[in-house]
Amino acid sequence: MNAGNDPTPADELLTGEDGSGDPDVSTGAKNSENRQTESVSGVETEGSAGASAGEGGAADDGGTTADAESQPPTTADAIGDRSPPAPDIRNDVTGRSTGTGEYEEFVGTFQDRYERLSGLLRRRVNHRPAEAIQSMPGGSEAEMIGLVDDIRSTASGHWIVELEDTTGTFPCLIMKDRAFAPLVDDLLLDECLAVQGTLADDGGILFVDSLHFPDVPRTHKPNTADRHVQAALISDVHVGSQEFAQEAWDRFADWLHTPEAEAVEYLLIGGDMVEGVGVYPDQDEELDVVDIYEQYEAFSEQLKKVPGDMEIVMIPGNHDAVRLAEPQPAFTEELRDIMSAHDARFTGNPSTVTVEGVSVLMYHGVSLDEVIAELPEEKASYDHPHKAMYQLLKKRHVAPQYGGHTRVAPEEKDYLVIDEVPDVFHTGHVHKLGWGKYHNVLAVNSGCWQEQTAFQKSVNIDPDYGHAPILDLDTLDMTVRKFV
Amino acid sequence: MRDDDERYFERLEDQLDDAFERAEAAREQGRDPKTEIEIPTARDMADRVENILGIPGVAERVRELEGQMSREEAALELVEDFVDGNVGDYDSREGKIEGAVRTAVALLTEGVVAAPIEGIDRAELLENDDGTEFVNVYYAGPIRSAGGTAQALSVLVADYARSLLGIEEFHARDDEIERYAEEIALYEKETGLQYTPKDKETKFIAEHMPIMLDGEATGDEEVSGFRDLERVDTNSARGGMCLVMAEGIALKAPKIQRYTRQLDEVDWPWLQDLIDGTYYDEGGDAADDEDAEDEEEAEAEDDEEETESEGPVRHEPATKYLRDLIAGRPVFSHPSESGGFRLRYGRARNHGFATAGVHPATMHLVDDFLATGTQIKTERPGKAAGIIPVDSIEGPTVRLANGDVRRIDDPEEALEIRNGVDEILDLGEYLVNFGEYVENNHPLSPASYAVEWWEQEFDDAGADVQALRDDPHVDLDDPGPRTALDWADRYDCPLHPEYTYLWHDISVAEYDALAAAAADGEIADDELRLPRSDDVQRALERLLVEHTATEETLVVPEYRPLLRSLGVTTELEREWTPADLSERARTWGADAAAKDEAVADGGMAVRDDSSDSVPTESAADTSRESPPLPGTNAIEAVNEIAPFTVRERAPTRIGNRMGRPEKSESRDLSPAVHTMFPIGEAGGSQRDVAKAATERTAAGRGQIEVSLGERECPNCGEHTYENRCPECETHTEPYYECDDCGVEVEPDESGRVVCPRCEWEVESPEERTIDLNSVYHDALENIGEREGSFSILKGVQGLMSANETPEPMEKGILRAKHDVSSFKDGTVRYDMTDLPVTSVRPEELDTTAAEFRRLGYETDIDGEPLEHDDQLVELKVQDIVLPDGAAEHMMRTADFVDDLLERFYGLEPFYEVEERDDLVGELVFGMAPHTSAAVVGRVVGFTSAAVGYAHPYFHAAKRRNCDGDEDCVMLLLDGLLNFSKEFLPDQRGGRMDAPLVMSSRIDPSEIDDEAHNMDIVRQYPKEFYEATLEMADPEEVEELIQIGEDTLGTDDEYHGFDHTHDTTDLALGPDLSAYKTLGDMETKMDAQLELSRKLRAVDQTDVAERVIENHFLPDLIGNLRAFSRQETRCLDCGEKYRRVPLTSDCRECGGRMTLTVHRGSVNKYMDIAVEAAEEYGCRDYTKQRLEVLERSLESIFENDKNKQSGIADFM
Repeated sequence: MNAGNDPTPADELLTGEDGSGDPDVSTGAKNSENRQTESVSGVETEGSAGASAGEGGAADDGGTTADAESQPPTTADAIGDRSPPAPDIRNDVTGRSTGTGEYEEFVGTFQDRYERLSGLLRRRVNHRPAEAIQSMPGGSEAEMIGLVDDIRSTASGHWIVELEDTTGTFPCLIMKDRAFAPLVDDLLLDECLAVQGTLADDGGILFVDSLHFPDVPRTHKPNTADRHVQAALISDVHVGSQEFAQEAWDRFADWLHTPEAEAVEYLLIGGDMVEGVGVYPDQDEELDVVDIYEQYEAFSEQLKKVPGDMEIVMIPGNHDAVRLAEPQPAFTEELRDIMSAHDARFTGNPSTVTVEGVSVLMYHGVSLDEVIAELPEEKASYDHPHKAMYQLLKKRHVAPQYGGHTRVAPEEKDYLVIDEVPDVFHTGHVHKLGWGKYHNVLAVNSGCWQEQTAFQKSVNIDPDYGHAPILDLDTLDMTVRKFV
Repeated sequence: MRDDDERYFERLEDQLDDAFERAEAAREQGRDPKTEIEIPTARDMADRVENILGIPGVAERVRELEGQMSREEAALELVEDFVDGNVGDYDSREGKIEGAVRTAVALLTEGVVAAPIEGIDRAELLENDDGTEFVNVYYAGPIRSAGGTAQALSVLVADYARSLLGIEEFHARDDEIERYAEEIALYEKETGLQYTPKDKETKFIAEHMPIMLDGEATGDEEVSGFRDLERVDTNSARGGMCLVMAEGIALKAPKIQRYTRQLDEVDWPWLQDLIDGTYYDEGGDAADDEDAEDEEEAEAEDDEEETESEGPVRHEPATKYLRDLIAGRPVFSHPSESGGFRLRYGRARNHGFATAGVHPATMHLVDDFLATGTQIKTERPGKAAGIIPVDSIEGPTVRLANGDVRRIDDPEEALEIRNGVDEILDLGEYLVNFGEYVENNHPLSPASYAVEWWEQEFDDAGADVQALRDDPHVDLDDPGPRTALDWADRYDCPLHPEYTYLWHDISVAEYDALAAAAADGEIADDELRLPRSDDVQRALERLLVEHTATEETLVVPEYRPLLRSLGVTTELEREWTPADLSERARTWGADAAAKDEAVADGGMAVRDDSSDSVPTESAADTSRESPPLPGTNAIEAVNEIAPFTVRERAPTRIGNRMGRPEKSESRDLSPAVHTMFPIGEAGGSQRDVAKAATERTAAGRGQIEVSLGERECPNCGEHTYENRCPECETHTEPYYECDDCGVEVEPDESGRVVCPRCEWEVESPEERTIDLNSVYHDALENIGEREGSFSILKGVQGLMSANETPEPMEKGILRAKHDVSSFKDGTVRYDMTDLPVTSVRPEELDTTAAEFRRLGYETDIDGEPLEHDDQLVELKVQDIVLPDGAAEHMMRTADFVDDLLERFYGLEPFYEVEERDDLVGELVFGMAPHTSAAVVGRVVGFTSAAVGYAHPYFHAAKRRNCDGDEDCVMLLLDGLLNFSKEFLPDQRGGRMDAPLVMSSRIDPSEIDDEAHNMDIVRQYPKEFYEATLEMADPEEVEELIQIGEDTLGTDDEYHGFDHTHDTTDLALGPDLSAYKTLGDMETKMDAQLELSRKLRAVDQTDVAERVIENHFLPDLIGNLRAFSRQETRCLDCGEKYRRVPLTSDCRECGGRMTLTVHRGSVNKYMDIAVEAAEEYGCRDYTKQRLEVLERSLESIFENDKNKQSGIADFM
């Protein structure tokens, strides 16, 4: 067991260990180790992330990414005979936002979360409702599935995790000397857990013997395309910002017109098309384009630079002019009209977009900030954003914790649950590049197109801008192209 | 001290003794928590320090040291006393350190503020990694009130004690050092600091600090990096520690260094590096340094430019006061904007100490938004000021709907014409006293030309001003135009200010055009008629020349000085052309670029530039021959053309906006408390005792279960919660019994109660069932009251004090009867805004000269015998004026106290107040928040203004200034009878705002020294005004004007507070600000924007934008955020849940649940904001932010499927 790097901790009682050994196959920037596999993508790269876990090449900004600068772009209209079939989109809230901000709707959202996530765990434990456990005699064996309502430590350093189901709550004690005790550090409030254990003598608390997450089954076999076709996964374009990386974008757009990029038929954009207005105080002083509509017009101009025969899918992010509360519906008609170039598709955040049979869960990634803040550094950090994504996959929810960083709009169902295991999980938001595989699911955080901002400088964040992860849909191999 | 001062204080103290006698007789009956009065009298600072700290012997030693050395040195000297055990009764080393540190802070804050007791939790000894001991001082939030110097010195004192005790220095671990840096940055973000050290600076301090600074967590936000440290018991910011480190050590390093150098035992060599900023690693922060240097260079360049280009002397406009503009609180003037308040120097009798004088007509014309005591945020010299009415300065100038321009110097007239005002062209004068500049150490602003200055110049020019002043046919303040011109000609003296127009507010081209227009005009009926054009009209308006208007002409009645200043004869012949003006006059006020252009282009281009302000005709006529006139300020041109000197009429304009409204209201807890008797949940949310007493519970009617302190009767051994034994009427004492081992425990000398066997703290409160019904009815019976004598008697849910000692319910019944309520400490209080006053007229205080003579006033300010009600009398230092509301409240309190004495204690009544006048001469306590010392004051009269006027030294004794600060008064005997420390909440800050000690007389040397910077003269000398034109530093002219500091320690320290300006009445203008009389936020906002539309000095779009950007948008965004991460609450039991329970209903009681943030509270300002943005032409950025939010609200609160055509259709 490689407990050190493994997102799933070492405990025999845990499920979800896929035996991949070291799923931390590729990291954004820090890992200079460079184990390359032969590229099957046809792109001349110096390295790409391996398809199979355990052998993946580590991405180094300098080493494994292709430098577009060395390849003069050909003329824009020379190449292109793409005719990609339309993507299929699911779990999109757009047009289905029925919430009116009532108490019952909040209840409904969380009941739906519990219903669906507990469904994933019921195969593994024999759930007894909290109410039933409350009346069980001391010393009984008990199993329960619940949302984490509270986590607190006892004076002697043990942990009490309060689990809640639709009948009530029950406290579960995790002894500090249990092998799985470190898992408590990974827990977020409101995620769904299953426990097995023994009731205390007075029946007032459950001593936990094992702990289960909904997780991605290690048996998960991702789907692939039938033909050689690629998708570019990008995010956080931030047009309108003074730091928008215009040159890099132009190189990227130009490159898409080259023969090399012939197979790149899809462009999936993970939110933050523009820098927005009023995102932070006095933002107007730092905007290149102050008018929000002009920002989208400018973005549309940028979008026009990519080949017109590509299929483009966009979700909004927290800088975009849609509601911040998640799930976020797609852009309004007014904004879509502005971004009409290339007949792009607009869907909500999050959404599952299936291209050529490969399902891509697109989520902007606001919750990553919270996961990174709450979890230990080795489990989630800005330098390794994909590890934070592993945690979300493991919890089968894109933004589990309520009441903190993430804003929730109550809807008739919890759109943020990861119901079906995707083949690819694509996020942005944190402006850092990182990718890797978790139980065969490729997690990609795709960097940005905005250079370091004054704020980022002040908190010492060095964004990865001007990179485009290119995904082979037939092999799920990934190459990161660099355009700076 | 003079004899009459001594008599005054003795008189106060005699009255105090009478009250004490009565109160002692009452308290010794044992019905209160203690048998003695719990507000000890302090005659001086040493007494206060001792009483606040409760360390015997401190006062004596402080008095010994005081004569010999400064207070800071005395604090250090006392460290030795504590260490040697000469002062204080501490056995342990940590106790000695703690005592020394507390004493130092108390000394430096004059024993008034609560910081020494509330801001320092403890000192303790901990272990370094090498096993040696070090000192840790544990601070709490209230250390803030000590101020930076005392905070810093507390650290030095602790270190000095450490070294005397031979304890090792603290060696911070690396992670602790990093933690300090992270924490201070966090605290700055969360709460804000006056000074925030850079990370490097913090780390440098932390690395060298010889003692550990620690403290209580004060915020919710946690550090993200250096968490869970072994020796730091919280992950949140420790506010007290952050303040001490940043605003204490880092900011006051030079001050501490002065004292470390005097001490052999203490060596802080690193302070020098801290002061010099040489703690940076070499090359480490080169970039930063460069940046800093660049900035400095840039600034230096700016400075050079300023000195190179000659022009009017002006301050840079400062916009800071406009920040965080709130809806409903108007802007009166944008920064330094023409048309705004005109600075005039002087101190009115109700002025000084962070106040600003405005004309009462202005107060009415700004739609009553300004009232006496309204706080304004101001551009300079300070940040905020309290408004006072002064009618001896100039009023506002307005243009009426018919085009007439009038100056309004009468508040009645202001009210009459208010509805016809088209534009407020000028807000009138704004009186600021010299002391304000001293206190803020702000360079002097160029002075307006005013009669008090002109008079001195006139005198110097050879006029016999005294003779003219005595001549009944001459009005020096307001002479006729011919007289004024005659004086200017004859004495070669600057033109009288009354006829000095605001030439600096029009451009040279406008000056030229106005001269041309005058030459085209005619004189008829001894009035000048000018052809009406927008340009001429605007120029006259800016000059503040009063005139009337018809369709065709503008009529100026007082035209002679205007014509002379324009260089036009009374035959309307123009005597000059632009070519006669010097280059300097032609370009005065234009920026350097415009001047260069003017020279290079030779005219035409520049003419075009200024075409919007120059009548095109004259431009066309003269441009060929005339030189260009790019100057934006015509004052130099006027001085070249006019035959006499014309001074700048209003070179300094001061921008400001409304801050807080004035306050005058009784202090009620929420819900109000009549009796500090716990009734749990029984009385409902109203805490209705009568209801609780009749409620049926499981135990029976009116049987309620509450927590109450246990007491024991020393006589018969009876156990009870009552203060007096129900069996034998002996006073009882708190009883402490260890829950575990049952042993009875006595408190130790520091008041802690620790079980000697179980080693834990023992408390006296316990849950018990009481028969509230009989308690209530017995109380009614005891004092012979019936239920009908009051509408409701409100109790408390539970007691918050350590021993949970209740108050006899009889007191509450009498409070309810007289409709007064109690503060947490048992006193009845009335809050009001502080304002200063140094001289009063008995008449304006609704009292008489006879009454004043009874109070010991003998003469008026000129030494004449006090005979008439309208004579001006210098106010004695502890005399105060109550607002009408306070007087009414005090009368009810007095009735309550009398009833209490008679019916509860069986004593003679004390006050017997029949009418308001009976309150005159009675003593009260003044008491400010964050302090622990009350000051005795005497009521001398009443005012209709909603403020508490008192001598500035009285306010300073309470540690208040008058920039909108508020505090309270209590009736003396109410405090003596009803205050008890036993009632104070047992939590941080519980002893703040409680009268732990009282000062019976004010020693001017022992008050907040800000008050010493008030000037106390009748006239500022000419040299002062001249110095202001150079923007001299105030210290350069300090010699010229006497301030309070100059008389300290002399016989005159209580006297001679002269003023330069009088005002007819202390309460001119509206009694209440419109902010308080207007209804909801929308109405206030409308009124605010309507006013901004009328004010020439205000940019209404900017106001609308600021209100939207700084108030509405943050509110909307914040509420929207709050909505989407809100808690939920049970409607039945009140239980709160972080997230909705999956059970839907309350898990605790099965009750119905509700959201805590509803749609209505999220979007309450949406419509107002959108409308205002539209109506006032806000920029697109602001409008678009609103649009985005509006759509977000729709998206969250509207069902897509209920829409007529949804986005779904589009999909």
